[in-house]
Amino acid sequence: MKRGWIAGAIGVLAVALAACAPGGGASGQNGDAQGGEAGGDKVTLSLWSWRVEDVKAYDKILARFEESHPKIHVEFKPFQATEYNNILATGLSGTAGPDVAQLRAYGGLQPLVEAGQLVPLDGKVEALSGFDAKLLEGAKGHKDGKIYGVPFAYQTLQVLYNKKLFGDNGIRPPATWDEMIAAAGKLKAAGITPFAVAAGPDATWTLPIVHEIFGNARYGSTKFRDALLSGDKKFTDPGFTASVKLLKDLEPYFPKDVVAVKIPDVQALFATGRAAMYPTGSFDLAPVLAANPSLEVGAFQVPPPPGSPVTTPVTPGWADGSFGVNAKSAHQAEALELVKWMATPEFGQLYASELKQLSAVPGVTPSDPLLAEMAKNYAANGAPYTLLVDFRYGQPNGDAVFRDEVQKMLAGQTDPKSVAESVQKGVEQWFKPGN
Amino acid sequence: MTARRRAPGRVAVHLLLWGYGVVALLPLVVMVLNSLRPTSEIFTTPLGLPASPTLNSYARVWTEASFSSYLTNSLVVTCGAVLLGTAVSALAAYPLARYDFAGSRVLGAYFLAGLMLPIRLGLVPIFYLMDSMGLIDSLLGLTLLYAASGVPFCVFVLSAFYRSLPGELDEAARIDGAGEFRIFGQIMLPLVRPALASVMLFQFVPLWHEFLYPLVLLRSDEKFTIPRGLSQFFGEYTTDWSALFAGLVLATAPLFVLFVLATKQIIAELTAGMSK
Amino acid sequence: MVQAGELNTPRRSAAPRWRVLAVFLLPALLLYSVFIVYPLVTALEYSFFEWRGIRQAGFAGLGNYRDLFGVYPYDQQLWRAFGHNALFFAGTMLIQNTVGLLFALLLFRYGRGKRFLQAAFTTPYLVDPLVIGYLWSLLLNPTFGPVNSLLEAAGLDSWALPWLGDTRTALPVVIVVNAWQWVGFPMLLFSAALAGIPAEYHEAARVDGASAWQSFRRVTLPLLTPAIGVVSVLTFIGNFNAFGLVYAMAGSTGSPAGSTDVLGLLFYRVAFVEGGTEAIGRSSALAVLMFVFIFGVSLLAGSYFRRRERRLL
Repeated sequence: MKRGWIAGAIGVLAVALAACAPGGGASGQNGDAQGGEAGGDKVTLSLWSWRVEDVKAYDKILARFEESHPKIHVEFKPFQATEYNNILATGLSGTAGPDVAQLRAYGGLQPLVEAGQLVPLDGKVEALSGFDAKLLEGAKGHKDGKIYGVPFAYQTLQVLYNKKLFGDNGIRPPATWDEMIAAAGKLKAAGITPFAVAAGPDATWTLPIVHEIFGNARYGSTKFRDALLSGDKKFTDPGFTASVKLLKDLEPYFPKDVVAVKIPDVQALFATGRAAMYPTGSFDLAPVLAANPSLEVGAFQVPPPPGSPVTTPVTPGWADGSFGVNAKSAHQAEALELVKWMATPEFGQLYASELKQLSAVPGVTPSDPLLAEMAKNYAANGAPYTLLVDFRYGQPNGDAVFRDEVQKMLAGQTDPKSVAESVQKGVEQWFKPGN
Repeated sequence: MTARRRAPGRVAVHLLLWGYGVVALLPLVVMVLNSLRPTSEIFTTPLGLPASPTLNSYARVWTEASFSSYLTNSLVVTCGAVLLGTAVSALAAYPLARYDFAGSRVLGAYFLAGLMLPIRLGLVPIFYLMDSMGLIDSLLGLTLLYAASGVPFCVFVLSAFYRSLPGELDEAARIDGAGEFRIFGQIMLPLVRPALASVMLFQFVPLWHEFLYPLVLLRSDEKFTIPRGLSQFFGEYTTDWSALFAGLVLATAPLFVLFVLATKQIIAELTAGMSK
Repeated sequence: MVQAGELNTPRRSAAPRWRVLAVFLLPALLLYSVFIVYPLVTALEYSFFEWRGIRQAGFAGLGNYRDLFGVYPYDQQLWRAFGHNALFFAGTMLIQNTVGLLFALLLFRYGRGKRFLQAAFTTPYLVDPLVIGYLWSLLLNPTFGPVNSLLEAAGLDSWALPWLGDTRTALPVVIVVNAWQWVGFPMLLFSAALAGIPAEYHEAARVDGASAWQSFRRVTLPLLTPAIGVVSVLTFIGNFNAFGLVYAMAGSTGSPAGSTDVLGLLFYRVAFVEGGTEAIGRSSALAVLMFVFIFGVSLLAGSYFRRRERRLL
């Protein structure tokens, strides 16, 4: 009898162990658990996203899709952005996963591509050939070069400014670096924080962004990036070090104790008129205006700092992400219909107007004049934010090492030269130039 | 006991305890205050008194986010997990603490091992396990996982309590011819009741807050637990602070009630035990 | 003086029949083995494989472990995080458990308001560590926070530090907040243990002419040893797994400049933030290292406290 007990327990364990061997790629076919069997021929697609704040907008956008595709119903399921990557990676391989999913760009996309969890879209979504090549790069497999998603948005980097504060202090958007510094000095003397920059615990991902905004021209923009990729130059290049030093030089114009300042703090400083300039991405415009709709915001590109190899202002940018199809979706054809529609100007226009973002669909112009200006600047003077675009394909990520080191520098624990050396040392762990 | 300390010392003790009491209650106060302010106000001044207190955020959380169904789910999952986990652990800890049998020490270490790592480390294997058992989007799956996660802690603490009980108790009962299950159920279990209450309390709180596994394992809105439901207010660039604070207040209130009830039980049992 | 052991002699009985044992042990064993041990053993197995996202791509041997010790910046961050965990544990033991014991003693014979105070002291524990961390970072915020405003108003300008933005103060602040959140736990456990000490012991000590301190030192403290043991081991395990509070106060990178980085954050970065195709292998290797260390120390500590208990009895 006692043997019976033990044998039974071992049996249950063995079944459990055998039933869930992972990774082989055969862990259960994607069942119809999302309710596709109900309602006759009507198919329900599950669309996953990390944009919790967009539920209402997507309801409107997707309603338009359903008008032209009456046999498809799309359910928008957003997840908390910070945990999305793991939810998606597991969800794509299990039951009741997404049919179409919002995908991270560049390095963040690769784990899904390499695990074979996505459908390549080359030749299936014709409209992709019309997309900007720079933006498509973010939706490609790094090794196989195939396209795995329809890019939905891109972000541009520039300085937002408070028009009223500029007017009150007799300042105009600066045409030269020196003018910008003079303006910052004037604002500081008037008791206004010149630049709303955060370097606190949650702000480490924005520090490389601030560096791009002020330093892209100084390190040599696209040319330097190409030299990095070919191996002709390294991050230890004096130009890159000088671009890092700009942040140290600008520190007096940042909020006091910048290393303790968090992103919501600087958003609040800017939205309430206690800070005049906010170096940030196009993504920040909607939240700032939501907090203070009466705020009059302008934007300018930072004039090239002295000594820059590039003499015109630059607008750095990157592709935000894309929509791809789950390789295990039970409704491949319908899912493909949806992503095809996401490559049309109809979707692009809806996306831009409902979400106040820059659509990646070619030919879509933002209705918001300020976003339109950012888009125009990017079209004319766009440059890749290289640490994110090119140096996230291995660990440690280039921007991850960089942000830690810049924070250290602002905390007074290291200097620009060591920052550059650390970044070089970090990416050398996996990056091989010349590919 | 006779009174020992006199005036100045006594005053210092009162000051210390009540002063610290105020500091300890600060977070609840901040949470409640911020839940009464609209998000735009929190955005511009993250901390402060409500300019014009409003209960709007509570209404929004209750209706828009179907908080009542999250609350029910959370109660079902957490209570189920805590009861199941404590029940099996109370059984298992007893022989581990009071019998000598081959492998008892190894078994004790085996149970202890699970305490060393948070379950967040097993995310990917747990997902596959649940998927293979058909427990994705299932409250039962979440309950079983949570119940199992409490076992190491319960076994560890309850063993310590069983060990501290006098040995004569069960020996006397055994001489009287009582069976092992009767000794356990009628003598041992009642004696560790205060420990059971505290063990349940300390399991309950972290499970009540746990948000990673509901995010990964649950799919449909009607099955969400409170933390999974509240995560819908965390945007990529914007957070609905007002609703979030209201949700947190609503989520913490049941814990507070539970806590007051549990300590009452713990203290009452202890005092009863002492007067014997 | 009365010896504690005379009244309290726990003894382990001879084992009953296997079937009886099975009824006691099997339900817990089954539940725990399937849902906790099996996944964690699988995670251990993962650490020996190469990964392409969520797909296994061949045996890696100790490759993932070598990466942790050999690849910049993980090689530096691993030891730094380990050191911070050790400080975190030492600081928490010192503050949380001493204060917890002090409160338990002060409240032991406290009159009116005792229950309220016990509840109040334990309240922070009821709130999620992520929320606690967030609330304290609001309170300590140098731009908007009331702590520094109060200090300045009181004329203590030099004390209005950027708390979480200074590499010297950030870790101590996190430790204090952690202790503040958890102090109710040792307090309740010690209260329970104090209540379990028969009053005759103290009477006897008093009759022997012992002072309050001597009575505490010779009667109370030794009898609290089991409780101290439990609290120490649980504090150790909790501290080496610390995540939520530190994450909320110092972000995923252990801000500022890594001065609050702990193993839990390092794991989170390797596994979740940077992702990358090899995330599963490397993060599993890190989890295994943490497990081996924490488990080893806990076993040693456990047997140390058990020996002390036995010597006392």
